Amino acid sequence: MARDKIYSEEEFPSPLQQLWHSFTQTNIAMIGFYGYLFLIAMAIFSPLISPHISIESNLDMLLLPPAWDSQGDVSYLLGTDSLGRDMLSRLMHGTSLTFGLSFLVVIISLGVGVLFGSVSALTQGVKSSIFNHFLDVILSIPTLLLAIIIVAILGPGLYNTLWAIVMTLIPQFIHVTHNAVREEFSKDYVLASRLDGASSLRILKYSVFPNIVEKIINQATLAQSAAILDIAALGFLRLGAQSPLPEWGAMLFNGLDLFYIAPWTVYLPGLAILFAVLTTNLVGEGLRHAVKMRKET
Amino acid sequence: MSALLQVNDLSKVYKDKNYWYNRKKYVALNPLSFNLEAYQTLAIVGEIGSGKSTLAKLLVGAEKSTTGKIQLNGQLLTKENFKQRCQHIRMIFQDSGTTLNPNLTIAQLLDEPLLLNTNLTELQRTQLIRTTLQQVGLLADHMNFYPHMFSGGQKQRISLARAIILQPQVIILDEALASLDPSLRAQMINLLLDLQQQMGLAYILISHNLGIVKHFSDNIIVLNAGEVVESGKTKIVLKKPKHKYTQKLLMSQCFQIKH
Amino acid sequence: MNLLDIRNLSIELKSKNGSILAVDRVSLTIKEGEVRGLVGESGSGKSILAQAITGILDDRWEVHADRFHWKNQDLLGLTPQERKDIIAKDIAMIFQEPMACLDPTTTVGEQLEEAVPNSQLSGYFWQKSKQRKLAVISLLHKVGIKNHEKCYRSFPHQLTEAFCQRVMIAIALARQPLLLIADEPTAAMESTNQGQIFRLLASLNQLKNMSILLISHDLENVTHWTNTITVMYSGQFVEAGTTEQIFNRPFHPYTKALLDSSPNANIELPAKSRLTTLPGSIPLLQHLPIGCRLGPRCPRAQQICVQAPKTTNHHGHQVNCHYSLKENY
Repeated sequence: MARDKIYSEEEFPSPLQQLWHSFTQTNIAMIGFYGYLFLIAMAIFSPLISPHISIESNLDMLLLPPAWDSQGDVSYLLGTDSLGRDMLSRLMHGTSLTFGLSFLVVIISLGVGVLFGSVSALTQGVKSSIFNHFLDVILSIPTLLLAIIIVAILGPGLYNTLWAIVMTLIPQFIHVTHNAVREEFSKDYVLASRLDGASSLRILKYSVFPNIVEKIINQATLAQSAAILDIAALGFLRLGAQSPLPEWGAMLFNGLDLFYIAPWTVYLPGLAILFAVLTTNLVGEGLRHAVKMRKET
Repeated sequence: MSALLQVNDLSKVYKDKNYWYNRKKYVALNPLSFNLEAYQTLAIVGEIGSGKSTLAKLLVGAEKSTTGKIQLNGQLLTKENFKQRCQHIRMIFQDSGTTLNPNLTIAQLLDEPLLLNTNLTELQRTQLIRTTLQQVGLLADHMNFYPHMFSGGQKQRISLARAIILQPQVIILDEALASLDPSLRAQMINLLLDLQQQMGLAYILISHNLGIVKHFSDNIIVLNAGEVVESGKTKIVLKKPKHKYTQKLLMSQCFQIKH
Repeated sequence: MNLLDIRNLSIELKSKNGSILAVDRVSLTIKEGEVRGLVGESGSGKSILAQAITGILDDRWEVHADRFHWKNQDLLGLTPQERKDIIAKDIAMIFQEPMACLDPTTTVGEQLEEAVPNSQLSGYFWQKSKQRKLAVISLLHKVGIKNHEKCYRSFPHQLTEAFCQRVMIAIALARQPLLLIADEPTAAMESTNQGQIFRLLASLNQLKNMSILLISHDLENVTHWTNTITVMYSGQFVEAGTTEQIFNRPFHPYTKALLDSSPNANIELPAKSRLTTLPGSIPLLQHLPIGCRLGPRCPRAQQICVQAPKTTNHHGHQVNCHYSLKENY
């Protein structure tokens, strides 16, 4: 609040800094955030720290239970699968595939979606209306179905999965950006900037984008949890990562036949998917909560 | 001597965008003309839908007029040329909450019109921002604050600072005083009067509060559904209203009734 | 008879940094059939006071009072549930921005039907819906809406603000309250509509002998429609009395400054002259002055003003000031 005496070492937090501050105050959001950072670190450093090579099979140690079981072995901490590959290394490598790829997918679709969304928000008239209706049609199709259709056209494989999911997520970002930018344009300060003679680019950069960053990041966290599930689902359906790549969904599929004799080959990848989606949702929820807290004070 | 601001036959007709053929026309403002001198205030009074916000937008250049022309100091103002206009005609908006960008500090906010329209160096700009803030009654240290740290009255002062920083000649107050508390409103009016004397500004005050209009303005135009119902010197119009609509407005504000 | 009798009501907000006294020892009385104005600028606590009377404050706020009587019945000794029952029966409240107070997804007619209490309907249960509709139509006529068919079927966003405020008043009248609290009912409206709403409230006061507590931040609007006025500043009680006393002979420097700074109230002010105002601005909740909260801004403040002043009463004109302007009259 404004005061008469102002000390020179006081900080004046901008709204985004305030948001970060109230985000860090929420304990559960910080737990989710640390989990998220953990997954990112795992995705980047997994080749360096995994105990065994994830695609190398050791035929002496087929279907070894995890180390806490009486028949397990400490050097294979989480057991092995039906081809003798170490589960822990596979899970770590899978982080970079499922989680890391979802991160990449979100970044690409964010970039393209925000660009198209802001451009479309600047246009008016019949063109914009046709584009918006087309977009609404695409948005009404569930993302997994759309991804399956695109993969059916392009053929199975991990990189085709990436493009398929990028294409399903782009309309969501365009939609969110378009609405947010339209809403910002109706505010008075954008009009004031325009009257000062600012070009549209300048208005976008200084007046509009800092105010819609929160909405875009919100959509990004939602999109990432959807992307993780879609990548895993496509892997499970044998349309995504092909064996021997240790993508979590593919691992689930491989372990499904052996569920009764080696349940750890199923529940370990399942838990990994659960953990990834949970941390992403916690981060997103913490962000929404922080925005609400900031609006109230 | 020609007037500072001359408006001739300004009108605005909106075409209904929903129809391809036979576009319906919606007349927001019928042709009107007025002159404005320096050190004078013109009040525009009317209800919602009477066209006063349209008139404000036309004058400041946010919309293009259908007919008519606006001349400032004898020069014709065109719609596209914001740079030419913004040095001379500035506007203060009603809702102080949405009129300041919440992510910029006050210094950045006031810097923007200077960056876009003048060639001052950074030092000169900071100095100008400092003096402008002091002129409107804020401290120079407020430069580094964000808008959410200010109260409503202070935000309106910042809008006023943004308006006067380019040393304009005409300022349009679009219901700027309506949302303020009475004591803040009185302080703001005193500030506006001082600035008018110091800088020779002309104000166009759009309001529906007849008390302020009577105190603050020299001339008045009453609008009803886009038509000019009555115009002239404030004292005369408010003492002896000729048109029925003006009389109704006065009655509803219990103006003539002394308790 | 005094309908509402409140003495020394205080409302505290408990927060992490200590408790803040949002409303500091305010007294209020409302008689039957009286229209009382409660005037205060933003931050004066008038809305919180109204919400405390109707009992809709949440747990963060703590309410203390020496006396809180409704129709000579002590409300402080009752349980919160009993208090709510008594208040809900006799007190109604309308708010600012009526369009936002109505449910946007149902028609106005349905919302009015919901407001009519079952006790007013008689007859067998198959006749009840017809009677309900008739009750709604009579309510709409009472607030001056003749075209009830169209109003019945429309949604709130299709009506103007003034219309919605009339609907809100109709909903408030459904339970035939004895006191109507109007929290800045015309803040979002233009002047002709404001006049209509005030006239409606005045006619309801006269016809049904219903008391009204009219809360506003504009002293000049309120003086025409009220019998008595209470002025508040920054949570403290400043002055109370009949409208004529307050308008013509204000005792407190704050009231005098309010009247001086409004061009409407001073017809003789020369045009384009400076208005007399108090310097400074309203203190924030975090930095409230001790004692009399007007102290930093008051032109007549002396050292004694750091102690809170006591209320003095002169022929029904109460004022809370160490240096009131009574000697000037």
